[in-house]
Amino acid sequence: MTAGAAAGPRPAPLWGIRPRLRGRELGLLAIVGAAITVGSVALGATQRLAAAGDGTPSPATLFAPADVAILATYLGALLVAHLLLVLAGRRTDQVLLPAVGLLGGIGLLLMERLPQSLAGNLGGLARTQLVWLLIGVAIVAALAVAVRNDAWLRRYKYTWAAAGVTLLLLTFVFGRDVNGARLSLQIGPLTGQPSELLKVILVVFLAGYLSENRPLLVEESTRVGPLRLPPLPYLAPMVAMLAIALGIVVVERDLGAAMLFFLVFLLLLYVVTARVSYVAIGVAAFLAGGAVLYELFGVVRDRVNIWLDPFADAAGSGYQVIQALHAFARGGILGTGLGNGLPTIGGRPPIPALHTDFPLAALGEELGLVGVLAILGVYLVLIERGLRIAAAAEDEFRAILAAGLSLVIGVQAFIIAAGNLKLIPLTGITLPFISYGGSSLLANSVIVGLLIALSDRGREIKPPPAARRRFGRSGPLLGRAP
Amino acid sequence: MDPTVLAIWVVRLLFLGLLYVFLWSVVRVLVRDLRSAAREPATELGRLVVLASPGGEPPVGSAFRLDAVTTLGRDVNNAIVIEDDFASAQHAALTYRGRAWYLEDLDSTNGTFVNGTQVAGLAPVAFGDELQLGQVRLRLERPRVDRPRG
Repeated sequence: MTAGAAAGPRPAPLWGIRPRLRGRELGLLAIVGAAITVGSVALGATQRLAAAGDGTPSPATLFAPADVAILATYLGALLVAHLLLVLAGRRTDQVLLPAVGLLGGIGLLLMERLPQSLAGNLGGLARTQLVWLLIGVAIVAALAVAVRNDAWLRRYKYTWAAAGVTLLLLTFVFGRDVNGARLSLQIGPLTGQPSELLKVILVVFLAGYLSENRPLLVEESTRVGPLRLPPLPYLAPMVAMLAIALGIVVVERDLGAAMLFFLVFLLLLYVVTARVSYVAIGVAAFLAGGAVLYELFGVVRDRVNIWLDPFADAAGSGYQVIQALHAFARGGILGTGLGNGLPTIGGRPPIPALHTDFPLAALGEELGLVGVLAILGVYLVLIERGLRIAAAAEDEFRAILAAGLSLVIGVQAFIIAAGNLKLIPLTGITLPFISYGGSSLLANSVIVGLLIALSDRGREIKPPPAARRRFGRSGPLLGRAP
Repeated sequence: MDPTVLAIWVVRLLFLGLLYVFLWSVVRVLVRDLRSAAREPATELGRLVVLASPGGEPPVGSAFRLDAVTTLGRDVNNAIVIEDDFASAQHAALTYRGRAWYLEDLDSTNGTFVNGTQVAGLAPVAFGDELQLGQVRLRLERPRVDRPRG
């Protein structure tokens, strides 16, 4: 079937399926496969050499992937997703799947390298992460193939917003406390972090709301001193929605999510209105709000104080930040090599939340500056692709949705990367696609699946009909396809 | 140096190298995409949407597809006719030069405004800007990309 596609201009429909080759995607996936395989070999060799002690094993046993089953399953899943997209035959983006596949693969290597008892109840850290990754890849493929109409997102924006707020309220009432923050909700056997899902819902709501009210927002009828604001009544629902989301998040002590929501909201407002004054007001509000939170909440005060001087309490509250800084320092430019980082202390890594909050520190140690820059580069690629999809979108709603979805990933990666590097106060949030954790992986997979679906460029434009027609000269003029 | 350790280092560096091979290929795809997008001929250069029009012509909410040169005024020979007591016969011209839009006031009696400030001679305008001629307010918008209907 695929061979026929290469030979003919368009293969005959087979049970209604019109496959369409995706050469770029396959090429990029091949590089991803090679990279992850080589990384797995490097990890396996390092681990085996360390385990062998004095006696050096033979090169044949030494240079093999760390865990062949995990590697093969993951790469196979990516290939199946690619084949599904080929079969769907849509003209969609071909870069997002390989880029996300690479990030997921790097995360998987990191989980294989960490002590398996750290988390996960499906046979260790790496295997649990693999299961979540497989579900994530399935979500990406399913959304990219199936989502053709955006009306179900566009029309019910207030319903989505209400569902999101309900989810948060449920977490607040019934949630479990982890590290002083009430983040996870347990429904039957499943636990999840609703704030991860809420970020997708927030973007959908904002896209629906902003695309409808854009003309009103650009109109500057209200004046407050030197500032010109849009008519206030039209601003109210949006501000209320945001205040509710932020308020609940703050009450739940989930500062990373609060920061993410607010930054994405500001960026989207700028994307829609192109008014710098709004961003200035937003940043001012952010700083004022931060100051108020600093006074009111001990958590915020602690985080800022740790950020300003982690060495004040090096063995206590500043411990993990300092350990992360040391990890980056040990890594240097080329890193110590996968699996060759600082040995675990008493069966646990030196940083407690290494697999969820500090994966970049671990990667910084083992892959060095060069590796971290490459990972940040892949995030940049994701943002660029999302904004390109937004620029080519056919209407405002799709444009704002695509921009918002890609900015969520970008801003989240920035918040946690900068937190790990002590550039900004640390807030507990996951590094998209690399961190361990089901909720985060699933929510981000939904984002990427929607982005690929939004990038659909529609059917190919048919070539103009040939001049040779029954009605002679007037043929080419009249024969234009509608 | 121990040859085994050396070999492991080669594999490690190969991994880092492959990360950059991936980035390089992606960037090549992105650059090619951007180039082809820049080459694609746009079917329209921009749109002018009517925000307020006390005279009723042009009607509020209507949108004009813009050519490279669009003249606006009360005279019927203008590309966009503005029925407003405060508009001049030949009021202003909107032109697309190079890759940017410019608004030129054609010595109108009551002036032409961009985002509330009066235009003296030629002024650059961007998508999203608000133009005012007499009592009529218009907004310059991005062109709609013409897509085949599925």
